[in-house]
Amino acid sequence: MTIRPLFTALAVLALAGCATDPAPNEQLRLTERALDQAKAVGANADDMPELKQAENKLARAQADMVEESYKDARIQAEQAELDARLAEARVLTQKSQEQLNVLNTRITRLRKQLAEAQ
Amino acid sequence: MSLKSSVFSSAVLLGSISLAGCVGHHANELAMQQANSDFQAVKEDSNVLRIAPKDVIRAGESLARADRLSSYWGSGQDVEHYAYLSQRYSEIAREHTQKVLNEERAAKLDLERQRLQLALREAKLLSVQQQGKWLEEQIISLATTQTDRGLVMTLGDVLFDTGEADLKNSANRTVLKLVQFLQLNPKRIVRIEGYTDNTGGTEDNLALSLTRAQTVADMLADLGIDEKRIQVAGYGDQYPVDVNATERGRAQNRRVEIVFSDEKGRLGAAR
Repeated sequence: MTIRPLFTALAVLALAGCATDPAPNEQLRLTERALDQAKAVGANADDMPELKQAENKLARAQADMVEESYKDARIQAEQAELDARLAEARVLTQKSQEQLNVLNTRITRLRKQLAEAQ
Repeated sequence: MSLKSSVFSSAVLLGSISLAGCVGHHANELAMQQANSDFQAVKEDSNVLRIAPKDVIRAGESLARADRLSSYWGSGQDVEHYAYLSQRYSEIAREHTQKVLNEERAAKLDLERQRLQLALREAKLLSVQQQGKWLEEQIISLATTQTDRGLVMTLGDVLFDTGEADLKNSANRTVLKLVQFLQLNPKRIVRIEGYTDNTGGTEDNLALSLTRAQTVADMLADLGIDEKRIQVAGYGDQYPVDVNATERGRAQNRRVEIVFSDEKGRLGAAR
């Protein structure tokens, strides 16, 4: 009788592990949208490793979908979504940094001109 | 007993399945540690908390999930997965924060840029005004006299030969200064008055004086001064400034006088 709770726990765990995941269609759509968004702001897989990762993982997720390994598909797609979001965020940060640099250059030039004018 | 043994064998079987999932346990621990230290870093950054609180919360939730799963058998893949997601959320939070900080800094710098631009424009304007003042002083010092006719500048002495209306080259500098002065004082107008010595007849001299004045007026117009700002008059040998008995005196009398209006464009009456 003392072994019963252990058995129940193990059974529940095994069930959790073995339960067939539903097809993560919504997640795949989300991931695709995240990738599109990253590319829309100018992310490029060649110089943004996160976007490359996202593309690879999405491809694997799509292959997993075909094989009906839905859990793997979901994991790959979820990671790909965040990889793409990170790529997008990095691009936007880079852009804001570039804008900052432009402003700094202009200010330096203005200061110089002002010093000459006085 | 048979029931108990079958339970036992089932348990062993399940246990071994779970153990199979346990391969790479150390890798998971490493992933958890990294995710945890990343999360701690963003959690303690007040800027990140202010700017990207949602990403920090998601990083925390994913980490908690990974942590919960790590106490179960057979969840290696999930632990790694949620640790990965947590780390990504932390990174995204940092990126968002950096972007907003950059934008905030850019807004401040843009104000600074506008301020500097304004200051520069003022400085340039000031220098033009100073230049104008300086030129005015120059013009005044250029043989100008404040008379009851207003400010009068004399282009005289050796600028015309007897009987000639052509301005000598030596007058160019003076005329150029005059042009600059008029450009910097757009409201001032001038009357250009021609005079001659008493060589020749009165009628001829009147015509000659007018031609001399017109020569100077044409030159100003050629250099871009609106003709509407220029009046021309010829007085012949009237109003001599020196005796006509000597060559030197006559040279002084062969002259053009430029009468300036005040700053508002009011010109004194003609003679």
